[in-house]
Amino acid sequence: MVHDASHFSVDERELQSRRAFFELTDDDLRRLAALRPFAERHLDDITEAFYELLLGHLETRRFFPDEATVRRVKAMQRQYFLGLFDGRCDLAYAQNRLRVGAAHERIGMAPKWYIGAYRRYLGLILDRVFVEMGDPVEARAAYQSVQKLVAFDMSLALDSYIDANLQTLGRHQAAIRELSTPVIRVHDQVLLLPLIGTIDSQRAEQVMETVLMRITEEKAEVIIIDIAGVPVVDTEVADHLLKTTAAVRLLGARTILTGITAQVARTIIQLGVDISAMPTRARLADGIELALSIVGKTIAPKAV
Amino acid sequence: MGLRVLDAVELPIRYEANIAEVRRSARALAQSRGFDSFATAALTTAASELARNVWVHGGGGSAVVEDLSDGQRSGVRMTFRDSGPGMSPADLERALAGGFSTARSLGLGLSGTRRLVDEFTVDTRPGAGTVVVITKWTRF
Repeated sequence: MVHDASHFSVDERELQSRRAFFELTDDDLRRLAALRPFAERHLDDITEAFYELLLGHLETRRFFPDEATVRRVKAMQRQYFLGLFDGRCDLAYAQNRLRVGAAHERIGMAPKWYIGAYRRYLGLILDRVFVEMGDPVEARAAYQSVQKLVAFDMSLALDSYIDANLQTLGRHQAAIRELSTPVIRVHDQVLLLPLIGTIDSQRAEQVMETVLMRITEEKAEVIIIDIAGVPVVDTEVADHLLKTTAAVRLLGARTILTGITAQVARTIIQLGVDISAMPTRARLADGIELALSIVGKTIAPKAV
Repeated sequence: MGLRVLDAVELPIRYEANIAEVRRSARALAQSRGFDSFATAALTTAASELARNVWVHGGGGSAVVEDLSDGQRSGVRMTFRDSGPGMSPADLERALAGGFSTARSLGLGLSGTRRLVDEFTVDTRPGAGTVVVITKWTRF
C-alpha cells in the first residue's frame, strides 16, 4: 500500500466504548457469522445491485471512469461485504474499516454518497434476510445485527474523513503561517515585515521568533513592521507589537511601526493603548526614510 | 419609536479562529448598515476584544449579533456570553477602570471597549459567568 492509512487510530478502550454504544455484542457477532453462507449466496447479486445505484447516479458515476475500475472496486466491495459476516470486530477489523474511509476520502467521495450507498446496502440485505429466514423474529434479530455493524463501520469511516480534513487544514495553516511572515531585507541592516491578516496568538509567537532570528542573522539595526494589512488592532495585537518591540530592543535594534490608518489610530487612542514606545510613521515610505537615517543613510535626489 | 430587531445570528466562540469570525460578522453588518469607516473600526475592534475575553477568560461561549433599528438609525447590538469564572463587583470595577487583568494582556479590554461603543452593559457574578452587551448606532 503506497498510501498510509488514516492517522486516526482506535485503541482497545475506544473500540470497546464504541461497541458498547452501538450495542454491538458478541451475540451480534455470532449471529453475523451464522449468516456467512447467506452472504456468500447473495454476494454477487447484492454487489451488482449496489453498483447499480452508484453507476446510475451522474455525480457518483464519475468515480468509476472505466470498466477496469469498476471490476476492481466490485472485487473490493465483495471482500468488504463478506467481512461483515466474519463474526469479528476487533482492532484489526476497526483499522481495516478506517482504511476504507480514508480511501474514499482520498478519491474525494463525499460522506453523503458513502452514507447513501450504505442505505442501499442495508435495504438489499433486509429484503433478502426476510425472504430467506422463515421466522420473522429471527430475521429481525439478524438484520439488527447487520445494522449495528454497518453503523459501527460508518462511524469509523466518518472519523477518518474528519481526521483527513483536519490534517489538510493543519497543513494549510502551516503553509499560510510560513507565507505570512516574510521578513524582507530593504537595505543593509534594515528589515521590513509587512503583516497581513489576522494576528492570533500562534501567529504572534511566530512573528516574534522570525523577527528576532532575522535581526540576529542580518545584524540588523532597524526593523519596520507595516500593519497596513492587519484588519483590526485590538489590545491583543497592540500587546504583541509592544512585546516584539521590547524583545527587539534587547538585541540592540529598533522597531518602526508603519501603515497605521486613520481608523486604527482613532481606535487605538479610544482603547487607551499607549504605543509611544514604538516610533511610528503613517506611510511605509516615511518609515523606510527614518530607518535609513538611523543607519546613517539618506535618500537624496539624483545629482544632475 | 420602538426598537426593532431585524435579524440575529449566534456565533460560537470555542476556538481562537472564532474570534476572527465574530469580528468579520460585526464588520460585515456594520458596513451593510452604512456605518462610516471609523464607527466600523470601533465596533469591529470592540467585537474582537470581547470575543477574545470570552475565549481567554470565559473558556468559550458565544456571541449574538443583532441588526437593530430604532426607526431612524441602524444599530448593531452584540451580546457576548461565557460561563467562565465571572467577576466580583470589585474585580469588575477595576476592569472597567482599566489596567487590570487576570491574564497576561494589557488589561485594557473592558475599559477600552466601553469607549468604542454607544451602549455598554456587563452582567457578571463570581461563578455565574459574564454577559457583556454592546450597541453601536449609525450617526445622523
